Amino acid sequence: MDPLLYVLDLVVFIGIFSIVAISLNLEFGFTGLANFGKVAFFLIGAYTYALLSNIGVPFFFCLMAGAVIAAAFGLLISLPALRLRADYLSIAVLAFGEILRLFVKSEDWLAGGDWGLTVAPAISVAGVSHRTDAFINIALVYFCLAICFLVIHYLANAPYGRAIRAIREDEVAAEALGKNVSKYKAQVLMLGSAMTGIAGGLYVQYLHCVLPNMFMPMITFTVWIMVLLGGPGNSWGVLLGAGLVEIFDRGTNILKDYISIPIDPSNLQYILFGTLIILILLYRPQGLLKESTVRTKVQRLIYNGRHTIKNRRN
Amino acid sequence: MEDTLLRIEEISKHFGGVYAVNEVNLNVDHGGIWGLVGPNGSGKSTLFNTILGLHKPDHGDIYFEDKCVTNLAPHQMYDLGLANAFQVPRLFYSMTVLDNMLVAARRQQGDKLFNGLFLRRRWQEQEKGLISEALDILDIVGLDELSFTPAKELSGGQRKLLELGRGLMAKPKLLLLDEPAAGINPVLGKRIFEKLRDLSKNGIAFFIVEHRLELLFEFASWVYVMDKGKLVLAGEPKTITDNPLFYSIYLGDE
Repeated sequence: MDPLLYVLDLVVFIGIFSIVAISLNLEFGFTGLANFGKVAFFLIGAYTYALLSNIGVPFFFCLMAGAVIAAAFGLLISLPALRLRADYLSIAVLAFGEILRLFVKSEDWLAGGDWGLTVAPAISVAGVSHRTDAFINIALVYFCLAICFLVIHYLANAPYGRAIRAIREDEVAAEALGKNVSKYKAQVLMLGSAMTGIAGGLYVQYLHCVLPNMFMPMITFTVWIMVLLGGPGNSWGVLLGAGLVEIFDRGTNILKDYISIPIDPSNLQYILFGTLIILILLYRPQGLLKESTVRTKVQRLIYNGRHTIKNRRN
Repeated sequence: MEDTLLRIEEISKHFGGVYAVNEVNLNVDHGGIWGLVGPNGSGKSTLFNTILGLHKPDHGDIYFEDKCVTNLAPHQMYDLGLANAFQVPRLFYSMTVLDNMLVAARRQQGDKLFNGLFLRRRWQEQEKGLISEALDILDIVGLDELSFTPAKELSGGQRKLLELGRGLMAKPKLLLLDEPAAGINPVLGKRIFEKLRDLSKNGIAFFIVEHRLELLFEFASWVYVMDKGKLVLAGEPKTITDNPLFYSIYLGDE
């Protein structure tokens, strides 16, 4: 096997899951919405992409359609989000993801049921090597990641970011200070779901197929670990978390071949993931990188300006 | 009735079988300091929360500038010009003092999704003015040195002051204050009331619940007294203190 190709493959995976992780960071890290149904939106983006690309719709439109439909479902789950408490909401959306997976699995007419669909690659050049193919995918994925990252980065550092953080801290106070909490929640869930939908589309076009079994609830939990490990409320931290978790995932997969233990190694991986979450929450609840504050540079500037004037007067 | 800012008509609110607020009528006019007193559990905070839109009244109506606002959500009340400071501060604890202030700023350009992303020049220009305003108010409540401290590191009294500052930052027509002087040292408490009086001359009306009666009665122009959910007395501070009923309410009947 080609070791470089293995690394390139890892880089693509890190990129795709980074998109999902930063979108969860927008929802959970900044707004406090515990979305345990990430895989549902990933699935919606993936299947939309697969179905449309199979009837000949161009790459870009398949991706955008996935984003739009995922956003529509995001709006849909924002409706119970306003009525249910955070813990009940997480159970509801977790179930939503499983229902969707079982739906595409059992409805053969829609997308091939258990057998899934094959998906043509976005850019296919005849006779191109696997390595070049991986490079093309890296370019695609990281272009999308860059756009999503910038959107979240700019929003988080605008007064908008202050408003959603305020909602995370105290919904009632934010509402009393003129923030339309339900509108913000709906917007954030739509935006986050759209990004996850894009990631889903990229995922299937990279793997050239879509199967119900690619959307197990474990995907949601993996993305959660990325956010919790990296640092909720810090986009850079979440990218770091996504990288580390993917490497950890691959690392334990390789390790499986070299060590022999009395239990199933795949289960061991889940156990390790669970232990990791508990350790993070116990010993470093703020994650590896602490939450970034809202752009204080101009604030400092004005503050210092006033104080020099004051001191001169004295 | 042109001067009336807030008019409450026959408001009732009960929790289970207990009437927290029972058929209360009252008016608050533009400007001035208005007091609301009464023993613990007499329904003052419930009345405030109902005005704010956090509770929906069982019956009765609330009018703000002659517009019926009974069923509006809190953020809609804020848009009309109502703000409040909670009795137990509800700050955004992981955010800095200055950011707490800025959340409350009125008519922000950048707190909308589209503007926040694409009209950066526009809100950044506005932001500079808002920061100056916020620092001015923090100066008044004595917190400007702590502008970049996370709110969770403030002491109890400082939290109350920030809660008040945030209410002022909203530039309301009517500011509901639930015990603004509780837990604040007497000198500062008095200074704050003096400042509120100055501000009230510019047209802001303050409706204040306060247990430090000597302070409230010195500054308020009109005082309402509640007991067991009912409004029992109303008048200028002097007439209230002269009324024996007032003492029996506060000190018991013996």
